[in-house]
Amino acid sequence: MPEAAPAVEIRDLVKDFKTSFRRQRLRAVDGVSIRILAGEVYGLIGPNGSGKSTTMKALLGLVVPTAGSCAIFGKDSLKVDSRDDVGFLPENPYFYKHLSGAETLRFYGKLCGLGGCQLRDRVDELLALVDLEGARDRRLGGYSKGMLQRIGLAQALIQEPRLVILDEPTAGVDPVGSRQIRDLILRLRERGITVFLCSHLLEQVQEVCDRVGIIFQGRMIREGRLDDLIAIEDQTEIVLRDASPELIARITSLVAGVPGTDLVRTGKPRTTLERLFLREIREEER
Amino acid sequence: MSATQPTPRGSHCGRTLVIATHTFTQLARMKVFYFLAIFAVIIIASNFLDWQQLQGPEAAGANALASIKSSSFGTMHLFSVVLSIVATALLLPKDVEDRTLYTILAKPVPRLDYLAGKLLGVLLLVFVSLALMDVLMTVVLQIRTSMIMEQQTELAQAAGYTPDAIASLRAETMANGPNASLQGAVLAVFLRSSIIASLALLISTFSTSTLFTTVISSLVYFIGHFQADARDFYLRIGQAGQGGFSRAVSLLVSLVLPDFQLFNVIDAVIEGQAMPMLILGKLALIAIYYALFFTLASWFIFSDKEF
Repeated sequence: MPEAAPAVEIRDLVKDFKTSFRRQRLRAVDGVSIRILAGEVYGLIGPNGSGKSTTMKALLGLVVPTAGSCAIFGKDSLKVDSRDDVGFLPENPYFYKHLSGAETLRFYGKLCGLGGCQLRDRVDELLALVDLEGARDRRLGGYSKGMLQRIGLAQALIQEPRLVILDEPTAGVDPVGSRQIRDLILRLRERGITVFLCSHLLEQVQEVCDRVGIIFQGRMIREGRLDDLIAIEDQTEIVLRDASPELIARITSLVAGVPGTDLVRTGKPRTTLERLFLREIREEER
Repeated sequence: MSATQPTPRGSHCGRTLVIATHTFTQLARMKVFYFLAIFAVIIIASNFLDWQQLQGPEAAGANALASIKSSSFGTMHLFSVVLSIVATALLLPKDVEDRTLYTILAKPVPRLDYLAGKLLGVLLLVFVSLALMDVLMTVVLQIRTSMIMEQQTELAQAAGYTPDAIASLRAETMANGPNASLQGAVLAVFLRSSIIASLALLISTFSTSTLFTTVISSLVYFIGHFQADARDFYLRIGQAGQGGFSRAVSLLVSLVLPDFQLFNVIDAVIEGQAMPMLILGKLALIAIYYALFFTLASWFIFSDKEF
């Protein structure tokens, strides 16, 4: 049986832009290769201007590669049919403000060839998924940033794509909205949908991604499974609950008696500021 | 979420219509139709010009009706040209600036479908607006024609006109009222708009701003009124020198730059002359040619454009 085509196949991508000043060339992406298998959540991280968005645009056929190639499920990105199975949420999307949430989804659904009951059911389903049923008939001009990101995510999913590309999905969104979007990404992963996201919010990427690539000045400087990349190979962590001071003292003396092993630190693990914030908000709501 | 299943992609026509109807809704929600209220005021105001105090019964009917037609067509002309240029010039840069274009082109939407949809949306809006203005103008003209004919008859009888002369006068007034030629002239206004809108679409594909597109499109429209005269002048010079080359250049110019003087037949209709079907057919073919030519040229530029 032939091997199924990967969800994303970017090979030696190079993209040069001509600057208006003296028509000099600016290399935005320099020999980047990425392979994402179906069902994976892949995070591309890097500082601003490192080439993340350009890589995504090349994958969507919005820019033409100077060299190299991009393919989605084996289809050349420059061909329209490669977009059959893709949903895209750009960074800071501003959809048509004159349309309501439901009208926006209907518009994008019709562009993908949906219609009738199928489209109506899909719109209802997605509005429920992104928790915007209450705002379905409100025009997008009155949506908050977080709501816009969620309706953006819903439009990306309208034709039930097998691949979703998210460019800074939580940029400018408050922690509650950010958490909702992260939960949505995790739900997509559970359903076997491939997610390719780029962000410079590293903690967020760490929470949802299976594999990550680090891009800097247009070049891929590190890539691999997240667990492999962030594990400190020569250290081991033991987390205890309700451990008495006597037990800690016994463990410390036990470690001290083993040559070649050092106790690096003991203490209480800390929650993140974000988790604290969300917990407090939820308690206030109750 | 339901299980993943193949989604129908839809046809080119279907996608183009979706974008066209959306563009129509977008422009309509920008309150473009408020302009119709101004049109109604202009048409009603033109009724108050009292020509019969100035001239005899013959001129009273023709002038009063010509005044309504002239102000109606003047407003239609202004509205259709401004809307065709400004609306078309606005749509593309706005989609790029708001990044809505990314989300549309990231769907299986060919760029030609997108461009054609935008153009059709603008033309749909112009068509609906002109149709509404046409209905309003026709109704006002119909009422005014009846009133004028009654007044004319009284004036003519008082002036001692024979029954034959009165009948002839009434027939002349009827010819200046609402008729098929007038509807043909409104269609000609729409055909001219379709050329201007497709020209603005072409310019907006390589322009960097709405202002640039508006200015250049207006300039080309202005030049289009002198294109025929300039070609004649050039050909006269050419006859003295290289005639073949001059004719080739003249032909090339006329293929690329529309001659808007051809639409001057609208003025003749306002003055009460008939619009021959042959002329209307010719204008329709010219409009289709330029709309297709400019749309395909837009596609040629837009297909390689990067965002």
